[in-house]
Amino acid sequence: MTNKSSKASTIVFRLALADLRHEWILSLCLMLAIAAVIAPLLLLMGLKHGTITTLRHELIQDPLFREIRPVKTREYASDWFARQAGMEQVEFLIPTILAASSIISVVRPGSRRSLIYDLVPTRAGDPLLLENGGVSPAEGECVLTDAGAKTLGVKAGDHIKVRATRIRGGRRESGAADLQVVAVLNPRASALNRLYAPLEFVLDVESYKEGLAIPARGWPGGTPRPPPSFDGMLVLLPEALRPVQETGLVINTGLTGIERADAALFLQRTGLRLPEGFTLYDLKTSQTAVQLSSYRAVRDKLRGKGALVLPYVRDLRLELPTGSSIGLAGLSLSADQMKRLGLAPLPWGALRESPPAASLFRILAGAQRQDGELLAEYREGAAGTLKFPLRVSGTTFGELALVPAELAGILRTARQRKVTYSEEHGDFLLQRGGFRGFRMYTRRIDDVPPMVDRLKSSGVDVIARIEAIERVRVLDRGLSRIFWLVAVVGISGGIAALIASLYAAVERKQHELSVLRLIGLSRNQVFMFPVYQGAVLAMLSLLLAITAYFSLAAVINFVFSADLDLGEKICQLPWHYLSASVVATATVAVLSSLLAAWHTTSIDPGEALRYE
Amino acid sequence: MPETDAKSDHSGSSISADRLIEIRNLVKVRRQGGVEFELMVPAFTLAGGSFAALVGESGCGKSTLLDLLALVLQPTSCERFLFQNPAGETLWSADDVMALWQSGDEDALAGLRRSRLGYVLQSGGLLPFLTARQNLRLPLNINGGEDGYERLEKLAQKMGIAGLLSKKPRFLSGGQRQRVAILRAMVHRPALILADEPTAAVDRARARAIVDDFRRLAVEGGSSVIMVTHDPQLVEKLADATWTFHVEQSGDQLTRSVCVPVNQ
Repeated sequence: MTNKSSKASTIVFRLALADLRHEWILSLCLMLAIAAVIAPLLLLMGLKHGTITTLRHELIQDPLFREIRPVKTREYASDWFARQAGMEQVEFLIPTILAASSIISVVRPGSRRSLIYDLVPTRAGDPLLLENGGVSPAEGECVLTDAGAKTLGVKAGDHIKVRATRIRGGRRESGAADLQVVAVLNPRASALNRLYAPLEFVLDVESYKEGLAIPARGWPGGTPRPPPSFDGMLVLLPEALRPVQETGLVINTGLTGIERADAALFLQRTGLRLPEGFTLYDLKTSQTAVQLSSYRAVRDKLRGKGALVLPYVRDLRLELPTGSSIGLAGLSLSADQMKRLGLAPLPWGALRESPPAASLFRILAGAQRQDGELLAEYREGAAGTLKFPLRVSGTTFGELALVPAELAGILRTARQRKVTYSEEHGDFLLQRGGFRGFRMYTRRIDDVPPMVDRLKSSGVDVIARIEAIERVRVLDRGLSRIFWLVAVVGISGGIAALIASLYAAVERKQHELSVLRLIGLSRNQVFMFPVYQGAVLAMLSLLLAITAYFSLAAVINFVFSADLDLGEKICQLPWHYLSASVVATATVAVLSSLLAAWHTTSIDPGEALRYE
Repeated sequence: MPETDAKSDHSGSSISADRLIEIRNLVKVRRQGGVEFELMVPAFTLAGGSFAALVGESGCGKSTLLDLLALVLQPTSCERFLFQNPAGETLWSADDVMALWQSGDEDALAGLRRSRLGYVLQSGGLLPFLTARQNLRLPLNINGGEDGYERLEKLAQKMGIAGLLSKKPRFLSGGQRQRVAILRAMVHRPALILADEPTAAVDRARARAIVDDFRRLAVEGGSSVIMVTHDPQLVEKLADATWTFHVEQSGDQLTRSVCVPVNQ
């Protein structure tokens, strides 16, 4: 039965085809009319797709458009990096260091003058390098930006000498390294003098700048003892300062405020009584901490005025093994200075840049304590409770236990940074507390906006070239809307033409169709006659339209080829668009033929007999 | 279709073996513009392999009878409307056409029209978009009788149209067109060929020749023919049986026509 009906369908299809061929002029007119609707639509779709693809291609090609960087400096823990790098959209993520630490001097070959370069960490897979004609530098190698290479007059393969500089103990020091330039980047990567080196090298430079030794590179320096920091400084002077002198103390010292203070404050800060004959000033900063550099600056400015400078830390407490808790003050003065305060000399003496451990871990405790070792606990550390030994070296002179000011300063630093006590070194160590920034690249440009939103909502303020991406998206949406508007109008016209033509054809061929019914084709088989005709006409029209599209697209692409990169096309359609247009045209054609097809069902076989 | 079984099933039927059609007391009422037309067929029979003519003026109901015989018009009422093929086998399991109409079995009626009937239309009824040959092959294609192509060529020879087969109908003369139409009606060997004024558009001499060939080939092929004509002379010597209509006007609103045989 199925076989029989499919045979009948073949007969009807052949009859429909023969009819179209018989009336080929009418068929051709209708085909041209429909092709005239489809071809411009294909062209419009091709132009839209080609334009957007070209624009997107330009964005995709440049990794800068996939770059996400933080706006502000803050600390990112290592597990933060691990979490982000694990995300599917993230192609590449690398930590960066503080801008102040990422400055490196590069010596121009054959000259002794050095230039300041921006040192940027990189590692394997960095799209900024790989997509700009670079390679990932290995240890002992670096990559320069185009501007950076031109300034130096070097090219890939040349060797350059770089120097990390620091001031330690008042002396200018530098650590040098010889690097081979393995690549020079495309100019679009950056217009600045930049030097890309492996992350390990950059971290070593950072550590060196913080005063540490890098034995592997032969760079001398200290152990990573945390630098002391203070809440403020007390200054004792035999005579009051003139206002201009007061102002002088907050200029270029890293301090922001100076106030006269009284004995009560002195007692509160040091636990000591303020002797007669001194004027007391409290120097403060609005920044987070007073560094040793500020101490040195103030001390130097007051040289010869008989001033005592006492950096202080507020509210220091230590827990002792006995379960008691004691308040502390830091005080480091020479024996002479102590004498001026009317006190006995301190066992550790005056304040030093880096006192040996032996004179750092000492305490003048309450009268009830015997001299000897005790294990103190400091509970305010950012990295948890800090346990370290203290040697009790006498009895305090005041209401608070006294420790060297350097120790007090380190404990204050421990409130903010990761400080541990190493029994092996017998000293405090400053741990790397994560990184201060990052450079991230997403896989696709479309990943950037959601990634930026995600980072922002997690509290990380970032910048990215979203506007450029968003512009293309807005353009895409706009063009799509225009396309669909034009398409709806055009397709409606095409449908109307097809419906009218097929309906009129059935009207005209009533006699022929009734003859078909009379010689035995069923109502359903004759129903298919206009359906087949509509589908065949539409497919032929589409073929014509596609031919027209390709010819016009070739012309357009040729005209615009001068303005585009090789392989880019302003007018192009992917194959799946074309196959979709085949399906859409066939569907529309069959739907359009249904009215005509329905009309055939009213045709009776008897009409053929009564036809005059 | 086990036709031998069908034969035994209907062996008790009162229809005689040589009768292709038997109609008794058929009435068809048609209304048009408030005027009623009633066709009555008290008794109509057609012997297998015979050539019958329906003769009458226009408006006498001969076309209506042809529609009824062509199975495209349903009788208003009918006591008996049976078909048999010349071998005496029933043509369909339910041999009662009236029963098919009443059960609304349109597919069965279409099937019968397709395989057992052939039609020659007044205008020819050829499909203009097919060549003469394609027109002739169409009934064979629809009935799955592609093996009849060769026979078709021979019949075309006998009909004198062998040289015209690759032409489309509009390039044929009226007479040639009717010859193609007649051939198309018989090429699939139907039991019955119905022809409605097949020679209306041709002059009498030519018409005679066409009808002559028509009769000869139909009989050779084993098909019966019922031909409608307004011209009794055309079929005078050829028809095995002739039927005509007695029309009477019963008042303003009703015209009654009765189909009766003409005794030769």
